[in-house]
Amino acid sequence: MDLGGYFTLIGFGPTGWGDQLLAAALMTLAVSASAFFASLAFGLVGAAAKLAPSAPLRWLAEAYTTIFRGVPDLLVIYLFYFGGSQALSALGHLFGHAGFLGLNAFMVGTLAVGLVAGAYQTEVIRGAYFAIPPGEIEAARAVGMGRLLMLRRITGPRALRFALPGMGNVWQQVLKESALISVTGLAEILREIHIGAGSTHLPFDFYVTGFFLYLALTTLSGFLFRGAEAWTMRAERRPA
Amino acid sequence: MSLPHPLLRALAGAAALALLATPALAKEWTKVVIATEGAYAPYNLHAPDGKLIGFEIDLANDLCARVKLTCEFVAQDWDGIIPGLNAGKYDAIMDGMSITAKRLEVINFSRAYTRSPTTFAVEKTSPLAHMPDTGKRVSLDDKAATEAAIKELTPALKGKIIGVQIATIQADLLNTYFKGVVEIRTYKTTEEHDLDLAAGRVDAALASTSYFVSTLSKPGGDKLVLAGPLFTGGLLGQGTGVGLRKSDPELKELFDRAISEAIADGTIRTLSLKWFKTDISPPPSS
Repeated sequence: MDLGGYFTLIGFGPTGWGDQLLAAALMTLAVSASAFFASLAFGLVGAAAKLAPSAPLRWLAEAYTTIFRGVPDLLVIYLFYFGGSQALSALGHLFGHAGFLGLNAFMVGTLAVGLVAGAYQTEVIRGAYFAIPPGEIEAARAVGMGRLLMLRRITGPRALRFALPGMGNVWQQVLKESALISVTGLAEILREIHIGAGSTHLPFDFYVTGFFLYLALTTLSGFLFRGAEAWTMRAERRPA
Repeated sequence: MSLPHPLLRALAGAAALALLATPALAKEWTKVVIATEGAYAPYNLHAPDGKLIGFEIDLANDLCARVKLTCEFVAQDWDGIIPGLNAGKYDAIMDGMSITAKRLEVINFSRAYTRSPTTFAVEKTSPLAHMPDTGKRVSLDDKAATEAAIKELTPALKGKIIGVQIATIQADLLNTYFKGVVEIRTYKTTEEHDLDLAAGRVDAALASTSYFVSTLSKPGGDKLVLAGPLFTGGLLGQGTGVGLRKSDPELKELFDRAISEAIADGTIRTLSLKWFKTDISPPPSS
């Protein structure tokens, strides 16, 4: 691999793939971020259901985490992208709509990865809730706090602190699993790497570039999560 | 059809009425969305600025102008490109896709616009570089010739590892004629088996000559050489065509007419020489 040629290839010149790769990296970031926020929403609902007194709610949440932690993400993506559009179009035909109905690749990616990550997020949040020392909750009750005030002042902030490291892991997982969305043709990093490799017949150069792009994204976001953890720990005393 | 619920039956009736009200039974095509991989040089690829280029892009522009269609390309991964067509995400596939009996079970094809033989690529220094029948055309429609060729190749290929792209006619060829003789290793993409060929992890790769011509012209390609017979016909199909839904016979008619014209006036030959450096246009009568 000659280095000068490599930098021309991935650079921003007229024959360089730089702007395509940058756009792909931003797309990976965008789809990962929206999948992560979706997973937070699913996780919060899932954890609340698992901690609920109602048995059917707990069973539903149990079914959700069992199913989505138990099947491959790729299968979920295929199911939504191809199966979903077929089901939607069939439904549309029933109501007199003759054309094609379907979710776009970005939506499918967000939803599929978000649902799977949400199942892990559920367990992270549930675990964080149980890590709160029971004495703190009893103390809150003893001073007459209602459920909402307790959530805002005690259980919410305390659980967030315990959940953050786990959420950081889920984020890294989402970032890497976003690569699977490439099968829908969404121009994120892996798809762009594949396009570049197939178009130029220089697979090694492009795979190495993809390696560093993902590593840059995971490392940089790792710093952000570490910063957030330090912030929530600011009032804690750690054993020296 | 029996629908269980009276409400559903009423809805289906309303839907049927709505369909009857629009006189679009024989569909008038003006705009066609064509799916391609954009990563299968030189059939279809991306330029560094992100633009789709390639033999099939040029060809589609020519064909669509001939029958007054507005054509638009979407880039789609090879995996799931057929389900996407049947799900209605786009109307046609042009992705170096070979017309085969198996694919004809689920989709329809236009007449062929290229016909490129299948052959092996090996390292120049490999003993397989001097495989029997190198460069000889073998039609799999000709049973005697096929059997003779397989018989000659079997001792040379015994125990070798052959790389091939998964779910392709080349993979079918290996499974049908060389199962138990060679070790077949399937790859998601053709450049993955090229990589393993260069790394020495496979002894040979099997793909269409039109693809290998471009591999050989790329960096590292000078270490490779084509070997073995040039297979055509039989399970390799009739060449590559435009993949279409079975429910769109009008569109097939348009593409068939345009392709026949483009073969007859030499347009496909010209484009083939431009992109493949070799003529892989099909014979006019096929």
